[in-house]
Amino acid sequence: MHNSENIFSTILASTVHDMKNSLGMMLEALDSLLDKLEDSKTDPKYGIVQYESMRVNNSLMQLLALYKIENNQLPFNPSYHNVYDFIEEQILIHEPLLKAKGFNYTIDVDEDIEAVFDESLISMVVSNIIGNAIRYAHSEIRVSAEIDERLSIIINDDGPGYPAQMIELVGDYMLGINQSTGSTGLGLFFAQKVAELHSHGEKSGSIELANGGKLGGGAFLINIP
Amino acid sequence: MNTPRIRYSEKSVLIIEDFAEFARSLKGMVHTIGCQKVRTVHNGEDAIQACKEQKFDIILSDYNLGDSKDGQQILEELIHFNLIKTNTVFIMITAENTTAMVMGALEFQPDSYLTKPFNGSLLNSRLDRAVSKKDALAPAERLMRKKQWQQALETCEKTANDFPKYRMACLRQKFECLRGLQRYDRALELATQIVNERPIPWAMMGVGEIFVAKKQVERAIDLFSDMIKEFPMVLEGYDWLAKLLYRKGQVLDAQRVLEKAVERSPKALKRQKLLGKVAEENDDIETMANAFRQAVKFGNNSAFASPDEFIQLTKSIGMQLQGVSDKDRTKLVEEAESVFDKLDTKFKRDPTVQFRSAVAHASFGSITNDEKTVEKYLNNANRIYDRIEEHLGSKESIEISESLKNLGQNELAESILEEAFEQYFDDPQFIAKASQLTTNKHLIENSKKAEKLNNEAISYFKKNDFNSAIDFFAQASEIAPNNVNINLNFVQSLLKRSQIGTNAAKDLEQAEEILSGVTRLSPQDSRFARYSELNRLTQLMLQSL
Repeated sequence: MHNSENIFSTILASTVHDMKNSLGMMLEALDSLLDKLEDSKTDPKYGIVQYESMRVNNSLMQLLALYKIENNQLPFNPSYHNVYDFIEEQILIHEPLLKAKGFNYTIDVDEDIEAVFDESLISMVVSNIIGNAIRYAHSEIRVSAEIDERLSIIINDDGPGYPAQMIELVGDYMLGINQSTGSTGLGLFFAQKVAELHSHGEKSGSIELANGGKLGGGAFLINIP
Repeated sequence: MNTPRIRYSEKSVLIIEDFAEFARSLKGMVHTIGCQKVRTVHNGEDAIQACKEQKFDIILSDYNLGDSKDGQQILEELIHFNLIKTNTVFIMITAENTTAMVMGALEFQPDSYLTKPFNGSLLNSRLDRAVSKKDALAPAERLMRKKQWQQALETCEKTANDFPKYRMACLRQKFECLRGLQRYDRALELATQIVNERPIPWAMMGVGEIFVAKKQVERAIDLFSDMIKEFPMVLEGYDWLAKLLYRKGQVLDAQRVLEKAVERSPKALKRQKLLGKVAEENDDIETMANAFRQAVKFGNNSAFASPDEFIQLTKSIGMQLQGVSDKDRTKLVEEAESVFDKLDTKFKRDPTVQFRSAVAHASFGSITNDEKTVEKYLNNANRIYDRIEEHLGSKESIEISESLKNLGQNELAESILEEAFEQYFDDPQFIAKASQLTTNKHLIENSKKAEKLNNEAISYFKKNDFNSAIDFFAQASEIAPNNVNINLNFVQSLLKRSQIGTNAAKDLEQAEEILSGVTRLSPQDSRFARYSELNRLTQLMLQSL
C-alpha cells in the first residue's frame, strides 16, 4: 500500500503545507507589526512583501500539483461555474497589489455564461498569469472570455509582451527558463498541463501566447473544451 | 457586478479556527465587511455547542482543527442534528488546494471553499455570492427538509425561472424532489440528460441511485464502476459499488472496493465499520481489526460514534490472538483492555452498553484463559442486567446471548432471547439467527403465532375493517404483550375506530392505557418517533372529546 512514490508525495504535501503555514504566519506577524506603525501599509515595500510571498505560495502549490499530475494522484473535479464570478475572483485575489500599483482592470465577460472546469486548477493558472501581468505591465490588464464550442479565457496587458522565443516555443518550456529574469518556466508548464487535463471527448485543452491584442502587450489564452 | 447589497450588520457570524492569529485576522476581515455579531471558537466541540445556543447566518470554519473534529465533521453534525438554517452559509477554509482534498459526502458540501491565504475582498465577494445563492434556493430547500416534495418541485422550478444563474443548483433540487415523489423515470431522464452533456458527480450518483431504486442492480454496478474511475475522490461511488457487490454475494470484491476508498480517506466511520464487517465475512481478521481500530480512532471526535466498533474491535483482537508470539500476545491483550476501558468511560451512563461491554469482556477473558476476568465481568453483567430499562436491540440480543451461551451462561442467555423473540418476531434475520441459539422451541412457535396474528390484523386494517383488526391485535398482544410494534398497531386501529365508531371515549382510553404500558422504548429506538406521534394524537383526541 505504501510505495516510495506515495511516501514522497505525502512528505512533499506535508512540507508544502508547512511552508505555506510559515509563510502565512510571517505575513500575519508582519501585519500586526505594521499595524503599530502609521502609513506603513501604503509603503510600496509592503506591496512587494505581499506580492513576493504570494508568488512563493503559488509556486509551491503548482509544484505540488505538478508532482501529483505526473503520478496520476491529482483528482480532477470539473463542475459548472459562472465564468464572470470566477474571473472577478481571480482579480480580487490581487486586489491589494492592483490598488498599491494604481492599476486599472476590465472584465469583458457575459454575466450569464456557465462553463465546466476544475475551479481550483484553473484558478491557479489564471491568477498566476494575472499576477505576472501585474508584474510586467504598466498600468492596465483586461480579462475576457468567450464561449462557443469551448471556453477561452484571455488575459491582456499593456506591458512589453512575451519574448519572441517564448511565444515560438510554447510546449517546450525548458528553453524558456531564464534565471536572470526570474522566468522559471513553471507557470506556463503548469498551465499547459492543467489545460491538457481538461479534455472532453476527443478535444483537449490548450494554451496560446501572443503579443499585441487589445492592450498592445502580452496576451495569454487558455482554451477549455 | 450588481449583487444586491447584503446587510452584514444584521448577520450573525461564527468563526471556527484553532490558530489565534488567523482567527483574529478573519475577525478583522468580517468586521471590515460590516459584520458586527461575530463569535469565535477554537475547536469543533465548542462550535457545535455555539450552534446549539444560536443559529448562525454565516459560519467560517477552518478544515484542519488540530486534534479536535475537523471542519467536515462539524458540517456533517450541524446538518445531521439540524443545527443550521436552510440559508446558513458555511465556508470551509483550507490550507491546501481543494483539488487535492478528498471530498466529503456530496450531501454535506460546504457552500464554498477558500484556500489560505486570501484577502478581505475575496472573502467579501464569496460571501456576497454564497448568501445570495443560499437565499434564492432556501424556499425550495425548506419544503424539501419537510419532505413536501410536490410543493418543493413547483418552488424550485420557479426559482430556476427567476434566477437563471442558479440553473444547475435548481436542477439538482428538482432531481431530489422527483426522487422524493418516487417519479423515478422522470428523475432518471433528468440526471441522464445532465450526465450526457457533462458527467458531474451529483448527477452521476443520481443516475446510479435511481438504478438502485428501480432494482436494476447490474446497470447500477456498471455506473458506479465508471464513476470511481471518473471521480476517484468522490467516495460515495465506492460505497455504493461495495454495497451492491456485497448484496450480490461478491463479498471479496466488495472488500477490495472499500479498501480503495479508505486508502483515499481513512476518516469515515461508517465506511470503516462496513469494511470491518465485510472483512470478517471474508475471514480477513487483520483487515477487520484494522478497520475497527480506525473506526474507534476517528469516532473519538464524532457524534456518530457507537459501542459497536469498540465491541467489534475487541472481538477481532480476540481472533487475532490465535497463533501469535507471546510478545505480540501481551500487546494485543493490553490493547483490548484499553478499548474496554474507553468504551466503559465513553458510555458510562448507559447500562445497556455497560452490560454489552461486560459480556464481551468476559468473552475476551475466556479466550485468554483468564478465569478471574471471566468471573469478574460475568458478575458485573448479571448485576447490570437488572438495571437495564430499555429493550435490547435485535443485533445486540444476538451478540450478547451468543457470547453468554459460549460462556456457559444458559439461563441468562435464554431470558435475553425470550424477550428478543417477543420483540423482533417480524425480523427474519433475527429469527434465523436466534432460532439456532435457543433451545426453547416454545419461543419459536410463539413468535410464529404472534406474527401470523399481527399480519392478519394488518390486512384487516388495510381493508378498513377496524373491528376485526382490533380483535386480532388484541390476540397478538396476549402472546407478545411487550411487543412495541403490535401495541402501536393496536393503538392506531383504536384511534381509527374512535373517529368513525360509536364509542370513541372507550377506544381512546384503551389506546391511552396501551401506550402507558410502552415504557421501555429508548428515544434512540427507530420505533420511538411513531410511538410519540401516536401518543400526541391520542392526547389530542382525548382532549377534543
